[in-house]
Amino acid sequence: MNQADVSKLVSKLRVKVLPKHRNLPGPKGPEGRIDKLRKTVTGLIKFERIELNYNRADEARQYAERLISEAIRHGDCHKPTMDTADFWLLEKELVHKLFKVLVPRYETSNLSYTRMYNAPRLQYGRTIDKVVLELRGNPFPDLLNNKSNNKLLIQNVLLDAAKNDYRQTKIAEMAKNIGKDIGTKQNTDSKLNEAPEKPNIS
Amino acid sequence: MRRQILCLSTKVTQNSCTKALPLTRFLSSQEAIDRRYHLFTLEKKRQLENVGRIEKIEVQYKGVPNSCTLIMNKGISTPYDCARHLSDWHVESSALALLDGSVYWDMHRPLTENCTLELQNFTVSEPQQVNKAFWRTCSFMLGACATIAFKDTVPVKLHSFPGPDIRSGSFIYDVDLPTLSDWKPTQQELITLAAEYIKLTRLNEPLERLEVGEELALEMFVENEHKTRQIPSIARQNGKVTLYKVGKHVDISRGPMISTTGQIGRLTIASVHKLNGSTEGDVKQLYRFQGVALPTGVMMNHFTFSILAQRAKKLNPVKSPIPKPVESEEKEQIAMKG
Repeated sequence: MNQADVSKLVSKLRVKVLPKHRNLPGPKGPEGRIDKLRKTVTGLIKFERIELNYNRADEARQYAERLISEAIRHGDCHKPTMDTADFWLLEKELVHKLFKVLVPRYETSNLSYTRMYNAPRLQYGRTIDKVVLELRGNPFPDLLNNKSNNKLLIQNVLLDAAKNDYRQTKIAEMAKNIGKDIGTKQNTDSKLNEAPEKPNIS
Repeated sequence: MRRQILCLSTKVTQNSCTKALPLTRFLSSQEAIDRRYHLFTLEKKRQLENVGRIEKIEVQYKGVPNSCTLIMNKGISTPYDCARHLSDWHVESSALALLDGSVYWDMHRPLTENCTLELQNFTVSEPQQVNKAFWRTCSFMLGACATIAFKDTVPVKLHSFPGPDIRSGSFIYDVDLPTLSDWKPTQQELITLAAEYIKLTRLNEPLERLEVGEELALEMFVENEHKTRQIPSIARQNGKVTLYKVGKHVDISRGPMISTTGQIGRLTIASVHKLNGSTEGDVKQLYRFQGVALPTGVMMNHFTFSILAQRAKKLNPVKSPIPKPVESEEKEQIAMKG
C-alpha cells in the first residue's frame, strides 16, 4: 500500500468531470479539439462571461477550472504551471490577469471558479443547447434576477399574514381544547393508576 | 367647453346643492357615469389650458440603465412621459414614481417643478408604498366593477373604501344596493363579478388623477347621496377633492395609484358580505365586496393562491363605515350567555 494517494497529487475540481472526454469532432481531429478549447478558455478568462454551445462550454470549463486551480496551488514561480498557462492562454497578457487578478479573487473561495447557466432556447424548432459560461465574481450584473425572497413583496406579505392567521386559529382551537383535554387526561390517569394496583391486590 | 363648466358652476353657486338634488331622479346609473366622465374630461381640459405658456423643468432620472437628465414640460409632462423616453420596459413595469427620494407621485400626474425621479415597480427592494398603491387601485377598480356588473334594474350606489391594509388579506369596497335587501351571491355570481373585473383590467386604461374644487365634486356625484355627504369633510383640508378616473369610471380617492389597470394580474372576487347598520341611521345596510389580487408577472402556485382566496372569503375586520346596530348585538350576547 505504498502507492501515493491520487487525490493529493491532483487537486480535486469543484465541477463535475465526465469519465470520458468529448471529441468535439472537426477536420483537424484531436489537435483541432485542443485548439477550440484553447480559444474558449482564452475567451472565458478575457471576457469573464461568454455564450456558446453546451458541449464545448462544458469541456472548456473543466480546463479553465484546472488552470485556475493549478495557478492558485503553485503560484507564478512554478515552471510547469507557467508553461500550462502559456499553453492555454493565447493572449499573453492574460497570463498576468490569471496570476494577479484571478488567483487573489479565488484564493479563499470554496466554490467552483466558474458558473454555467442554460441559455434560453426556442420553444419550437430544433436548436443546439446554448449555455452561458462565466467566471464567478465578474463585474457584470447578475444573470438570475430572482428577488422573490424579499419579505416586503406583496405576495410574501399576503402569505405571511395568511400564515399568522392560520396559526392564530390553531392556537385558539388548542386553547379551547385544553380544558377538555385535562378532563379526559384525568380520566385516563385515574384508569392507569387503577390498572397497576389490581395485580398488586391480587 | 369652458362655457359649459362655467354654466354648471354658476348653477351650483346660485342654487344650493340641495336644490340640485332632484336631478337624481332622472339619472340612471349609466347616465350618471357618462355625466361624471364628461365633467371630468372638461375639467381636465380646462386645467390643461390653464397651464398657459409652456415652461421647461429639469428632471434628474436615477436608475437603470443609467442616470440622465430629462427636459420636460412644467405642469404637462408626467413621470409616465419620462418613462416613455427611457424604454418600453420602464413604461410597462413602473407603478409609481418617487420624487426627490421622498414624495410618492402618480405616474399620470403632471410634474410641477425640478426634481429627481425614480421609477418604482413591484420588485423594488422596499415596495411598501407600491403595494399600498396597488391595493388601493384594486379597491377602486372593485367599485368600477360593481357599478357595471349589475343589470339596469338594480341601482348601485358606491359608498367608500378604507385605506389599504394588505395584511388583512383582502381589498374591499362598501357598496349600497338599495333594492337588494338580502342578497347572498352564489359562486357563479362571484365568478361573473371577477370576469367583469378582469375585462376591465385587460382594457389597460391609465389611472388619471385630477384635483377639483368641492362644488364641482358635489356636482359630479349629485346622484350619490353617500359621496355627497363625504365630500365636504374630504374638502375641509384644502378645499380640493382628489378624483381618479379609469375608463369612464370616476371615483374619489386620496391616491397615489399605480400606472395602468394592466398591472393587475391574477385575481378573485372572494365574497360579498352584508353589513348591517343601525335602524336610526341614514344607511340601513351595505354590502362589502372583497377580493384578492396579485400584480402582473407574479408567479404563484394555484394551491398557494387558493389559500389566499380562502382567507379573503372571511369578513374583512376593517371597521364598518356605518354605525353598528349596538343594542341588538348586546341583546344577542346576553341571550347567548343566558
